[in-house]
Amino acid sequence: MKKLALLIMVLLIAGLLLVGCGSDDVTDDGTTTTTSGENQLIIGISSVPVSLDEQQISDYNSDRVASELYDTLLRFTDDSTDVEPGLATDWDVSEDGLTYTITLRDGVKFHDGTDFDADAVVYNFERFTSGEPVFAYADPIFDMVDSVSAPDESTVVFKLKEPFAPFLAHLAMTQFSIVSPTAAEESGIQDFGRNPVGTGPYKFVSWTGETEVIMERNDDYWGDKPNIDRLIYRFITDDNTRLNELEAGSIDIAVDPLPDSIAGFEAHSGFQILQEPGLHTWYLSLNTQVPPFDKAEVRHAFYHAIDREAIVDNILLGTGVLAVNFLPPATPGYTDDVPKYEFSPEKAKELLAEAGEENLTVDFWVPEGGSGMQSPDAMATAIQGDLANVGVTLNIKKLEWGAYLDQMFGDFPPEDQEMLLGQMSWISDNGDPDNFLYFLCSNTQWPPNYNSAYYSNDDFEKLIIEARFNPVWEEREPLYKEAQQILMGDLPYLPIDHEIITAIGREGITGFVIHPRGFFRTTGVTVP
Amino acid sequence: MLRYAIKRVLQLIPILIGVSMLVFLIMQLTPGDPAKLILGPRASQETLEAYRRELGLHLPIWQQYLNWIGNVLRGNLGNSLHFKKPVTDLIMERLAATLILSIASMILATVFGVVTGVISATKQYSLADRTMMTLALIGFCLPVFWFGLLLQFVFSIRLGWFPASGINSPGVTGWQDMAWHLVLPSIALAVGAMATIARMTRSSMLEVIRQDYIRTARAKGVSWREISYNHALRNALIPVVTVVGSQFGYLLSGQILLEVVFNWPGLGQLMVNGIMYRDFPLVQGTVLVVAAMYVVVNLIVDLLYGFLDPRIKYEEN
Repeated sequence: MKKLALLIMVLLIAGLLLVGCGSDDVTDDGTTTTTSGENQLIIGISSVPVSLDEQQISDYNSDRVASELYDTLLRFTDDSTDVEPGLATDWDVSEDGLTYTITLRDGVKFHDGTDFDADAVVYNFERFTSGEPVFAYADPIFDMVDSVSAPDESTVVFKLKEPFAPFLAHLAMTQFSIVSPTAAEESGIQDFGRNPVGTGPYKFVSWTGETEVIMERNDDYWGDKPNIDRLIYRFITDDNTRLNELEAGSIDIAVDPLPDSIAGFEAHSGFQILQEPGLHTWYLSLNTQVPPFDKAEVRHAFYHAIDREAIVDNILLGTGVLAVNFLPPATPGYTDDVPKYEFSPEKAKELLAEAGEENLTVDFWVPEGGSGMQSPDAMATAIQGDLANVGVTLNIKKLEWGAYLDQMFGDFPPEDQEMLLGQMSWISDNGDPDNFLYFLCSNTQWPPNYNSAYYSNDDFEKLIIEARFNPVWEEREPLYKEAQQILMGDLPYLPIDHEIITAIGREGITGFVIHPRGFFRTTGVTVP
Repeated sequence: MLRYAIKRVLQLIPILIGVSMLVFLIMQLTPGDPAKLILGPRASQETLEAYRRELGLHLPIWQQYLNWIGNVLRGNLGNSLHFKKPVTDLIMERLAATLILSIASMILATVFGVVTGVISATKQYSLADRTMMTLALIGFCLPVFWFGLLLQFVFSIRLGWFPASGINSPGVTGWQDMAWHLVLPSIALAVGAMATIARMTRSSMLEVIRQDYIRTARAKGVSWREISYNHALRNALIPVVTVVGSQFGYLLSGQILLEVVFNWPGLGQLMVNGIMYRDFPLVQGTVLVVAAMYVVVNLIVDLLYGFLDPRIKYEEN
């Protein structure tokens, strides 16, 4: 019995000790935990990065954390996908569009003290395109490159296999961030992602498991040095917890808030809503090669039947912009001078009658979730309701995201594709109109590539191929404008909205940049 | 006793093999191609195929299982697909956080549960008894994650007494900072178990108090307090120990949700992340470790009976 009493005493003391420590700390430290007084920015994001090696990254959140550790040869301007000098100061494109000569910035050093030069760029290219499966972006970015050479310390020459107009944008993509060759060799492919060394405005300090990544200002940075001393990313998976942390004052910015929480914070003084329309389109993909969607009237009828405004207002609650065109508005060459389809159930019924497709029943494929898919269920239900109003029955069929992608982009001829009608979204890789209009719409890109509508139109094809090979933007732009008009007349895809990238920040934080490509720039940030 | 202990330890082996087969099969049946999820939607078919070969995903299921279990027996749980690190390292990094939270909650639940139960039993049908048992009933019914969010809202956002989530303030280490972060999650996690332990202690005490030897002790003039704590409690504790043991399993499952709510970097959160990313080596590894923890705790509880009650013998006939 004495032993038991002793045990209970020990447990009690231990318990009291724990609780006691807590209250001691509270009185010592006050109510806020970390943000006050220190010149740092703490950003709460919803998932743990896969890696901090940009060359291995294919998701938003990893890119957000890693992007400011590095520089790219060219960089996107703050609010568009136009390019400006980065580690390269100048570039020259040969007349045949095959040779890109890049002049590099002098005197730049990696965080480990080694020099950045042309050899480093060649090393990075070879590393990235080495064929290791983890460098999954190497193909889409560089499969048109024939060779890369370094004629002198500050010049790099890229030779292409065939002209490719958006090539400069590819040199600005964060996936081709320049890593320190010395550090990359030392760490090896697997470990470099946890010990990243670049030339960027911040230096890596630490990565604690699933908790946080800490970085500090690079005082030797060649460009504008950050105002803040430290930049911290905290990983808070639960959406409510992330917002609770913001309200409690232990993070400065919460990224990707739940749509229905935004209005509350907007009304609440002490916070600001930070938004930027992304290079994203959420759309319905229709198989244009087989009935019923081989008839243009049916595709037009579906678009007239869907109340897109209601979806944007009531489901997306301000986190989407109504789409009138397949291209996202932030894309260069975007036009809204395209055929328009107002919400009109009557018109939809007329068109269906014209096509002889009244009382249509179609399977409607919906993923459980997935990158860029916003609210797949709620949006599907709204669309199902709208189409029921015009006499069309949609049977919703759900698949897990991986299986969904396998089905939608499976290697089937159009007549074997079960998925005649499905949801999909696309986020532009390089911001060039080519990325949407070629990859999703060219008749050379049918599944297993990304033209899930099996769309084919010779006039359209001629325009986008000509634009793809012509490096002169002024000549490409009118081609793309015409292509957009043809596409929206044919309607292989029904664009519903463009997602707005959203974060909520403490009031008084200025200079936080959300780029349309989804990453952040914080060098201009000041915290109150 | 020793023979019994060895026998019980040997019995763990088929249980753990069963768990390993079950979790392996479930992960295999879960739709979704890990290669595609890791390499992203833009990876080419050739790259995906090469990666599947690298991971051994092209082999038949039984062969994949044998490869995996063979490595597990050598102490190698494989590499996490998402974190690109050995699963064993990831588990070791987070095991401490999980143990700290579960032990703290278990201590809170046991101490407050037993004390509440004893007070309730000795003052049966009093106001204190009724209040405490009503609270225990409510505590038992509270969903852990909801209660966690409520605590966060009141004590962190409104009152600002405790941090809302995490195990340490960014860049800060040290046990004081951690203890402060521990308060809300350990209370949230303890409440359900505390309620069960309190109710169990109460009913068990009431049963013991009515027995003859207690009446005899009272007749001999032993004080009520001494009877309660010296004579009754020890016997009443035997069923309570079983409950404490089984509550540990409950704590572990509650902890998975709670770690997500409180962003506590333990095994639960690791497991949830693993499921989200279809990181099957990670899910298999964490489930196996948590299952092992659970059966080991149960074994310890079984062995503890002998110490608490000499009447229980483990010898076979």
